Amino acid sequence: MRRINLGGFFLFLVDNLIWVLVIIALVTFSALSKSFFTPFNLVNILYRVAALGLLVIGQAFTLITANFDLSSESTMGLTAMVAALMLASTKNGGLGWETHPLLAILVMLLVGVAIGWVNGTLITKFKMNNFIVTVAMLMILRGAIYAISPGKSASFLPASFDWLGGGSLFKVMQPNGKPLAIPTSAVFLIVAFLVAFIVTRYRRFGRDMYAIGSNRAAAESAGINSAKVIMLVYMISGFCAALAGLLEAGRMDSATPRTGAGLIFPVTAAAVVGGISLFGGRGNMIGAFGGVLLWAILDTGLNIMKVSPFWIEVGRGALLLFAMLLDALKVEYLRRVSVQKALAGNPIGLKDQAY
Amino acid sequence: MEAEAKKILLEMKAIHKAFPGVQALSDVDFTVWEGEIHGLVGKNGAGKSTLMAILMGLQGVDSGTITIDGTRFSEMTPSEALAAGVAYVPQRINMMSALTVAENILAGDLPVNRMGFVNWREVYREAEERLDKLGLKLDVRQKVEGLGVAEQAMLAIAKALFSNAKLIILDEPTAALPRPEIDRLFGFVRSLKDRGVAFIYISHHLEEVFEICDRVTVLRNGYLVETREVKELDTAGLIRLMVGEDVKEFERERAPLAQEEPVMVVKGLTRRGHYEGIDFTVCRGEVVALSGLEGSGASALGKGLYGLERRGQGQVLVNGEVLTARSPEEALKQGVAYLPQDRYLYGLVGARPVRENITYPILGRLVRALGLIQAERERAIVERYIRELGIITPSPEQAVNLLSGGNQQKVVFAKLAATQPAVLVLHEPTQGIDVHAKLDIYRIVSELSAQGVAILIVSSEVRELLGVCDRILVMYNGTITREFRVGEPEANPAEILLAIEGGNNHVRQ
Repeated sequence: MRRINLGGFFLFLVDNLIWVLVIIALVTFSALSKSFFTPFNLVNILYRVAALGLLVIGQAFTLITANFDLSSESTMGLTAMVAALMLASTKNGGLGWETHPLLAILVMLLVGVAIGWVNGTLITKFKMNNFIVTVAMLMILRGAIYAISPGKSASFLPASFDWLGGGSLFKVMQPNGKPLAIPTSAVFLIVAFLVAFIVTRYRRFGRDMYAIGSNRAAAESAGINSAKVIMLVYMISGFCAALAGLLEAGRMDSATPRTGAGLIFPVTAAAVVGGISLFGGRGNMIGAFGGVLLWAILDTGLNIMKVSPFWIEVGRGALLLFAMLLDALKVEYLRRVSVQKALAGNPIGLKDQAY
Repeated sequence: MEAEAKKILLEMKAIHKAFPGVQALSDVDFTVWEGEIHGLVGKNGAGKSTLMAILMGLQGVDSGTITIDGTRFSEMTPSEALAAGVAYVPQRINMMSALTVAENILAGDLPVNRMGFVNWREVYREAEERLDKLGLKLDVRQKVEGLGVAEQAMLAIAKALFSNAKLIILDEPTAALPRPEIDRLFGFVRSLKDRGVAFIYISHHLEEVFEICDRVTVLRNGYLVETREVKELDTAGLIRLMVGEDVKEFERERAPLAQEEPVMVVKGLTRRGHYEGIDFTVCRGEVVALSGLEGSGASALGKGLYGLERRGQGQVLVNGEVLTARSPEEALKQGVAYLPQDRYLYGLVGARPVRENITYPILGRLVRALGLIQAERERAIVERYIRELGIITPSPEQAVNLLSGGNQQKVVFAKLAATQPAVLVLHEPTQGIDVHAKLDIYRIVSELSAQGVAILIVSSEVRELLGVCDRILVMYNGTITREFRVGEPEANPAEILLAIEGGNNHVRQ
């Protein structure tokens, strides 16, 4: 009775295309450059994109509910700056408080969640457009970073603060006898993605997110409190952005007014390349992690091959376009299938009722 | 089926509802029994949608009461209607299509374990069990978008039952469904009926009403004509009830064509899945109708002729020239103008003034040196059409969306007439407008045809068409099955509607 579902196979392929791309990229760069496929390089790929990865997690949360959070790069920058100001001495650009690192971390996470709460309130309570709200927040926060910064970077932070973003967890011996440090941030990133995956797949909250992103009206009529879920999603996004700020400040041992600036486009690109649909309800965190990997591999690979940074930028833009094209094709394909299935002409029903 | 043995589930009594300019429902008494499938039929605008909107609490009533399962309402909200057990299954199923069947069934109430994690095994088991109780076999792990349309409809019905619906409104559930799918859907609906669930079945496909319904209620012009046992009726009888013996609303003065000058000639036009081997001609000054059910191809053909959709293979000549247009703009250049069904979507720029809306397609002819628009000529044209078509507007500068529906329609006409087309294709021109506006529209159609424009109307308002057309071409299942010449005895509403329903298809003369 059941037809072989060709369309379903196509969707499965597109949904998992990211891993095909990751493997192609790995193989290509390994073939092109001897110094690419080395343990040191592979480990450091994740180390370099840890902050970006955290932002991708936050963005994926909002995208799954068919919302955007474009402000997360500024949230990341602001939280990093706040922590650095609290920690650095006056001559290194800080306020000279030199507080306990845990206090600084607590404050930055609270700031991140608070920003998410403001975004969420404006979007759910005041029914403002999520795109514009978060763009406005992007500008406001970036301005605020410059305003509170010493005009330069705040640097030389405590080692315990830097541990998560810049430290290493343990060392392993390589076959050639040299020790290889496993960066804390690389492990943290993987754990964070796993947690995000479990939350979105196995918590009711996560399934509510998918339901809302897939069809908000239907989700609401099933008794899901969409305002509450979306509010939480923005707070999670702010929290992830603060974690990204922590990782980045730790890796650089400083925060600058430009920390995080311009990251939102790579973040969105990585999420979409990883199968998270801009139209909501589709994609998963494992795929998004693949998107981060692909982004990192391309970046590192092209760098190792000494490609001009300008051409790397061209390549990044092309990847973003490619990701958008795939997403649009997928949605268009689904729409066509459902319309073809549903009807040929115009609906006769309540919508075009006569009066 | 003895009436006294049946328990009344829904009773709508003495329902009156008026909209500005229209009495949508007058003194309607509508009753549905437990465990029956009750057909609701009538032409567009007969009042079906309004009656159902009232039942769902989407619209209030001017007077009358609704009693559901013993609870009486004089005014009902959508949530009260839901709580009372009324559910609506639209033609386009509205579900979370990217999620699985199981999640759609259990959304908002997913089973979780002690740790608060979703228990997927329990989700699938519970969903399967619930579907089993209804005797519905679906793969609960499948995404909804992967289901067929009939399966989606059955899932929507099942969902409604899980939230304790007793009365389910099915709105054109079979449009565009192949026969085996319809059989599955009907089988499911019948099995639920045997468990006491009641259905209101809205359809334009009368043969389905005969197939599945127990009783049928006919609405006409806001009145409930009759509620009858289906087995007491036949298709012709039902159509007679739907059409009634109204007087014609408009009669165009037809001058015999001096000579037949073909303006639009369609030869062997075929678009797979929509229509096949379409041949017809529309002459100068002639008004021809294309009538058919939804999915008959009439609508797709109209859009194809204007370039709004693909035309497919075959040839279309306009004034002897091959029509190559692939878009409405190009079609307009080749002399084919089109009045869209959804004038808000395609016809008008709502926030812009009447003047701009009328002259938009002809601006190219109004510019002089430096690309400036000749304001006086523009004003003269606009004023001429406002006067000729009787557009009621305080000034040509009024924003179009502030005009009444009928006047908006006239602005679209003015815009089309200003292009001086050879052929004018009208798509359901009188849908959603009141009687006076209808008369105005047909007066304009008459006038344009008298000026020599060839007019093609895509519509199934048979009575109206008989008043205004010279010929009516009936489409069924993608081909033209009958041609009626107005004035011949065969060209009467009952006969034409029967042909539209696919009843008595003779070979086309």
